[in-house]
Amino acid sequence: MITAERKPIEDLIQSVSPYRRILLVGCNECVTVCSAGGRKEVALLSSALQMHFMKEAKPFEIKEITLERQCDPEYIEELVPIIDQADAVLSMACGCGVQEIARRFKEKPVLPAVNTTFMGASERQGVWAERCAGCGDCVLGVTGGVCPIARCSKQLLNGPCGGSTRGKCEVDPDIDCAWQLIWDRLKALGMTERYEENIPAKDWRTGRGGGPRKIVREDLA
Amino acid sequence: MESFQPVIVAFCCHYCAYTAADMAGSKRLHYPANVKIIRVPCTGKVSALHIMEALRKGADGVYVAGCLDGDCHFRSGNTCATKRVAYVKKLLDEIGIGGERVEMFAMSAGMGEVFARTATDFTEKIRDLGPNPARVGLDKLGCVGAGA
Amino acid sequence: MQEQRNSELSNKVLIVGGGMGGIRAALDLAEAGRDVVLVDKSYSIGGLMTSLDRTFPTNNCDLCTLSPRLSESGRQLHIELMTMTEVGSLTGSVGKFKAGLTTRPRYIDLHKCTACGECYRQFPECVRFTPGLDHRAPTCMRYPQATPYAFSIDIDACKDIEALVGVCPAGAILPDDRQTTHEVDAGAIILAAGSELFDPRVLDTYGYGVYPNVVTSLEYERILSASGPTGGALVRPSDGKKPRKVAWIQCVGSRGLQKGSVPYCSSACCMYALKEAMVTRERFLEDIETTIFYMDMRTYGKDYELYLQRAKNDYGVRFVRSRPHSIDPAFSDGAMTGALDIGYMPYGSNLPAAEEFDMVVLTVGFRVSNEVRELAARLGVELNDHGFAKTETFEPVASSTPGIYVCGLFETPKDIPETLVQAGAAACCASAHLSSLRVVNDKKDDLPPERDITGEDKRIGVFVCDCENNIGGVIDVKAIAAELLGLPDVVAAETIGHGCSRDSLERIQEVIRKEKLNRVVIGACSPRTHEAVFQDTLRKAGLNKYLVEIVNLRDQDTWVHPDKPAFAASKAKELMHMGVGAVRMTHPLTDYTLPMNKDVLVVGGGVTGMKAALSLADGGFKVSLIERSQHLGGNARKLRRTLGGDDVQAYLATLVAKVEGNENIQVLKQAVVVDHTGMAGMFKTGVQVGPRMVYRQLVHGITILATGALPNRPSEMLLGKHKAVVTQLDLDSVIEDDPEKVKALQNIVMVQCVGSRVPENPNCSRICCQSAVKNALRIKALNPDASIYVLYRDMRMPGMQEEYYTRAREKGVVFVPYELDDMPVVGADGDKISVTFTDPVLGSTVNVPSDCLVLSTGFVADEESTEDLGIIFHLPRTSDGYFLEDHVKLRPVDLPTPGFFVAGAAHSPKNLRDSIAQAQAVASRAQTFLAGDAINMGAAIAKVDSNRCAACLICVRACPFDVPFINSEGHSEIDPAKCHGCGTCASACPAEAIALMQYEDDLIFAKLDGLFERTA
Repeated sequence: MITAERKPIEDLIQSVSPYRRILLVGCNECVTVCSAGGRKEVALLSSALQMHFMKEAKPFEIKEITLERQCDPEYIEELVPIIDQADAVLSMACGCGVQEIARRFKEKPVLPAVNTTFMGASERQGVWAERCAGCGDCVLGVTGGVCPIARCSKQLLNGPCGGSTRGKCEVDPDIDCAWQLIWDRLKALGMTERYEENIPAKDWRTGRGGGPRKIVREDLA
Repeated sequence: MESFQPVIVAFCCHYCAYTAADMAGSKRLHYPANVKIIRVPCTGKVSALHIMEALRKGADGVYVAGCLDGDCHFRSGNTCATKRVAYVKKLLDEIGIGGERVEMFAMSAGMGEVFARTATDFTEKIRDLGPNPARVGLDKLGCVGAGA
Repeated sequence: MQEQRNSELSNKVLIVGGGMGGIRAALDLAEAGRDVVLVDKSYSIGGLMTSLDRTFPTNNCDLCTLSPRLSESGRQLHIELMTMTEVGSLTGSVGKFKAGLTTRPRYIDLHKCTACGECYRQFPECVRFTPGLDHRAPTCMRYPQATPYAFSIDIDACKDIEALVGVCPAGAILPDDRQTTHEVDAGAIILAAGSELFDPRVLDTYGYGVYPNVVTSLEYERILSASGPTGGALVRPSDGKKPRKVAWIQCVGSRGLQKGSVPYCSSACCMYALKEAMVTRERFLEDIETTIFYMDMRTYGKDYELYLQRAKNDYGVRFVRSRPHSIDPAFSDGAMTGALDIGYMPYGSNLPAAEEFDMVVLTVGFRVSNEVRELAARLGVELNDHGFAKTETFEPVASSTPGIYVCGLFETPKDIPETLVQAGAAACCASAHLSSLRVVNDKKDDLPPERDITGEDKRIGVFVCDCENNIGGVIDVKAIAAELLGLPDVVAAETIGHGCSRDSLERIQEVIRKEKLNRVVIGACSPRTHEAVFQDTLRKAGLNKYLVEIVNLRDQDTWVHPDKPAFAASKAKELMHMGVGAVRMTHPLTDYTLPMNKDVLVVGGGVTGMKAALSLADGGFKVSLIERSQHLGGNARKLRRTLGGDDVQAYLATLVAKVEGNENIQVLKQAVVVDHTGMAGMFKTGVQVGPRMVYRQLVHGITILATGALPNRPSEMLLGKHKAVVTQLDLDSVIEDDPEKVKALQNIVMVQCVGSRVPENPNCSRICCQSAVKNALRIKALNPDASIYVLYRDMRMPGMQEEYYTRAREKGVVFVPYELDDMPVVGADGDKISVTFTDPVLGSTVNVPSDCLVLSTGFVADEESTEDLGIIFHLPRTSDGYFLEDHVKLRPVDLPTPGFFVAGAAHSPKNLRDSIAQAQAVASRAQTFLAGDAINMGAAIAKVDSNRCAACLICVRACPFDVPFINSEGHSEIDPAKCHGCGTCASACPAEAIALMQYEDDLIFAKLDGLFERTA
C-alpha cells in the first residue's frame, strides 16, 4: 500500500489561502487504510480549515467528497458536476490522485493535502513502515524476503556496512539493520550459503534511473 | 467579559460520567448551566470529528468524560478517547483555536461531586479563555457581510 | 429438578396488600412466570407510599418513581388485581391453600370507566376519596396516577342514584353492583398488609386535633405534595400563611413513655423527618428555619449517615436532643396567634426551655391496625405483642404458618428499600412451594403492528413533563412546549404533568395516533431510568420504539439549577432543541436476541452467598458458589449469638451441610475471580481454584455478589495494645466460652462508633448498637452486679430491637452519649483501662477504671476485594467501597450492569437477618431474569456500510472485544450477537463506514446543530 501523511495544517492553510471555495477530495483506497485521506480525515481537515478561517474572519467555503480511487479517471469523473463550484481542489490522495485530477481539470489548481511517503505495510494499529522502493527488479528471492533497497539506509546489496551495531542501523538506532534481518532470515531458512552469493551491481534503469515508467499489459490495453 | 457565558459540550459515557451527572442532580449539587451533556454509550464512541465539529458549530469548550482508568465498561474505550483528545488538542493548537479548550476527564458513576466540580472548573477555565475565536471571527464576518 | 415438583401444586401466589411490598413481590413473581392474585382492601393500589411527597435519600417524588411500577403491574398479564377485596377465610395448607375472597361493590364497571371525572364533578359527595389533610383534594382519585384507573362510588352517600348513573358518559356506573365472593387456589401466600400511622390525638400534651398548626408528618407530606390539598404551597392550616419556623418532634407514639405509645422504634421516621426538613429548606431556602427534636438520630441505612450530615451541614437543619413534654398555643395581646410553644428539657440541663414555632410536625410511627390483626387471626398467622408478624432470625419473612410469608411494615417497621428487599425475599420463598416453573411470555402483550414510516414526512411530537415541582417548579414547561411548536417538523407540543403516569402515557399514545406522529421527544427525567417506559409507549401506539428521544430536564437541569430559574429555562430550551434535532435522525431499529445461559455464579461463601445459592438451587438452577477462603461461612464463623439469643454456629453448620449436599451447587473454595467477559445471559468468568490456583472457566447467565465486609479493627483506644481492650466480636466469643472470666468483671465500658461515622469510614456500621446491647445483656445475665457503661453517639436500635435497649436500661446498663468533638479518653492503668468522658447529665467529667474496654468497631468495606471485583466486572462502588446498586430505593439489590446483583454486607453493613432477607431477594430478582429464554441485546449495534468499507482492518484492531472481521466478500463484518455497542470501531473507521445504531454521527451532529440553533 501507498502510505501518506497529512501535511502540517500551517502549510495547508497557506496553500488554500488564495482561494475562497475549496473542493476537498478524499480517496477510499490506500490513504484511507493509512488514515491519511479517507472520509474521516477529509471531514476532520474540512472542520479544521473552516474553523481556522472563521477565526481569521475570512470567507471560506469547503465542499467534501471522497472518491473510491483518485488514480482512475472513471472515478474522477464524479467531480465533473461539482468542480465548477470550487476555485481550487485540495486532494487528500497520494501524488497519483493529485495528478489525475490535475490532468482531468486543466484550468483548476489542484493542491496536495498529504505528503505521499512510501510503499509500506502496517506493523500494527497506527504504525506503518517502508517495505518497497519500487525498483522494478525484485531481489527479495535472494535476500530471504527482506528488501535491502527499501530497508537498508544505504541500499547496500552485498552485506551490511560498518555501521551495523547489534542489529541496528547507524543512521538511527530505531532502524533495524536490513542485512541483520536478511542474515537472521537466511539462517532460519537454512540458506546461509545465499549470503555468500554476490549480487551484481544493480541496473537502476528498471527503477527511477530509466525515467518515468509505464506498464502496458497488451492483452488488456 | 463578565457577561460572557461560554457554551460547553460534554460528551459523557452512559455508564460512568452520565450517571455521575444524574447523581449530581439527585444530590442537588449545583454546577453551571453552561454545560450541555451529550450521552454516548462509551467515550470510545467520541471521534476527533465530534469534538472538532462541536467547536466549529459554536462551542467554546468541549470535554469528554468517561470512566476511571481501567474501569471502562467496554474495557478500553476511555483510553482510546484519551488519545483522541490529545490528538485534537494538537490540531487545535495548529489552527490557532487552542488545545486547552478541549479536555478529557475520568470519573466513576458514584462521583456526582466530581462531575459537578469538573463542570464548574472547566466552565471557569473556558470563561477565562474567552469565547471560541472561531465564533468571534464568524461574528465579525457576519458584521462585515451585513455592512457590505 | 423441575419434573420432580408436584404438578398438583398450584402455580399461583395470593398476595394480600397492594402497597410497595405487595407490588414488588407481585412483579417479581410475575416476571418469573408465576401467576399472582394481588388483593387490596382499598379501591386503588399503592399503599402508604402514594401519600408521600418525596422519598429519601434521593428526594425524588414518589409518584414518579412508583407510578411506572403501577403501570407495570397493571400491564403484567400474570397479575390479577382485585381491589376492594379482603381475605375472608383460608383452608388447606402449603402448596394447596384455598382462600375465600370478598369483594365489595365499587358500583363502577372497571372496563368501562375512563376516569373522566364527570361523576365527581357533579356528585362529589358520592365518590370515594381517602383524605389527606383536607377532606377534598383537587382530585378524587387517591392520587393522580391511581391503579386501577377508575373511580369508586359511595352508594350510601348518594341520594339520586339515577341522576348519578346518567352523568357517566361511559355508562360505567352500576347501581346494582353487589358484594361478590370468590375462591382462589394458591400454593403460597404473601402478607404485605402494611400498617397504619399512629393517631396522636390521644396525646393530651401535644394538642393535635386542637391546634390546627400541629400536624402529623403524613399531613405535612400532603401539604408539600403538589397533588395535595394546597397544591404544593407550604402554608399553615390555621390561616394559610407561610410558616417561618417549623419544628419536628420525633418518636411521637413510638419508643415508649407517652400515653398510647408503643415500646418499639418505627425505624423510618428519622429519615423521613430529615427529608421533610431538607425539602422544606430546599424549596423555601433561607425563609424557613427547620428544627428537629430527637432522642437518637437513627440513620443507619446505606449512606443514610451522609444524608444526616447533608441535612446538618448543607441544609442547615437544626437538631435539638430532647423529647419535648408539651405544645402550647402562643398568645399575643390575649389572642392565640396560631404559633406554638414547644416546652422541653434540653439534654444535660436542669432548666426547662421553651421555643415558639409557627408549625409543629409530629413524626408519627407505625401501628398494626385492628383490621390486620383480625386478618392474621383468620389466616392463623401468629403475631408478636405489638401485632407484627412473628418471624425467626434466620427465616426473616416466614410466618408461623408454613407457606405464608410476610414482608414490609407488617413484619416490622421499616423503610421502602427494606420493604422491597423483604418483598423479593417473600416472593423467593413463596415460589419454592409452587408447581414446576412456568414458561413466561406464554401470553403475549397485545401490541398493534408496527407502522411502516418509510416515505412519511417527519412529524415530531414533543411532550414536556413537569414531574410536579421537580421540573415544573423551576421552569415554565408550558412556555417551553409552546416555543418548540414553532420548530420545523414539530406538529404537536404539549405538557403532560407526570409523563410516566398511566394517564400521561395514554395521552402520548393518543397524540401519536391522532397526529400521525413518527418521531417523539420527551422532556423528562433521566433516560437511564425512564427510557424503557417511553419506548414501550411508542410501541403500544404502533411506532418503532427507537423513534423517541428523552431529554433529561430533571436530573441534569432543574435539579441542578433550582437557584437560577432563568438559566435553567434557557438550558431546558437548548436541551429540547438538541432532542428535536436528534430525533429527526432516528430511524426504526430492531432488537437483537440471543439464547440465555441459566446458570448462576455466586461470589462469596458467607451466609448471604450460601442462602442465595441454596434458594436458587432449590428452584432448579445450577449454581457455582465460589469462596476465597478454605471455609464456607464468612463473618458468621466468628459470631456466636444474635441479639435474640439464636445459636449462630448451629445454624451455620446446618446451612453449610445443606449447601455442600445440594446436587445443584458446585462449591469452589480458595477460589479467586481472575477474568470476566460476556454479558448478562452469557457470562464467562475465569477463576483460580485451590492451593495450586488451577484455572477454570465458568459459564453463567447471572452473577450474584455476596462478598461481605470486614470486621473493623482500627488501632484506636489501645485496641491490640492492651489485653483489656477488645471488640464486641471478641467479647461475643468470650461470653460464650469463658463465662467465669465474665463473672469476674466489675466495670465494663463500651464505646460505640469506634471507626464508624468518622471521616475515614463515614457511614454507620449498623450492627454495633445491637452488638453492644446484646453483650451487655448477656454480661448482666451472668454477672448482675457488673457495672456497664455504654458511651454512644446515637443508640440505633430500630424496630423491635428497641425493646432490648429498654431491657438493658432496666437491668442497670448506663448509656451516656458523647459528641464527636468530645471523644472518651482512654489510658492504660496497669491491668485496667481508665476511661474518661463527659457526662452531660452531671455536666462534669467522669473517670471509670474498667476491667474491660469493649470497642464497637463495626464493619469496613472489603476495599481490596470490591476494588478488584469492581474492575473485573466493571461495577461501580460507593466512595466507601461498597457496591453501588442501581437505585437505592427501588432496585436495592440490582446492580446497574444487567445480570449483576448484590446482597449482604457487600451492599452495606447489616446483620445476619437482613443479609438473609437480601440473599432471598437477590434469588428472587435472579429468577425473574432467568425466567426468559432469550437475552435482549438492544439495538445499539455497530453496522458496516460495505460500500464504504476499505477493508483497512482498523475496526478489527480497535474493537475491545475482537468482534469485527473481514468477510469473504472483502469487507468488515460485525456480528450483532457479539457486538457490545461501545462504538469504538465507528469512531476509528477512517472510511466513515461504521455507524453505531442509536448513536449515529448524524444524530450527534444534529444535537449540536440543535444546540447552536442551526438546522443543517
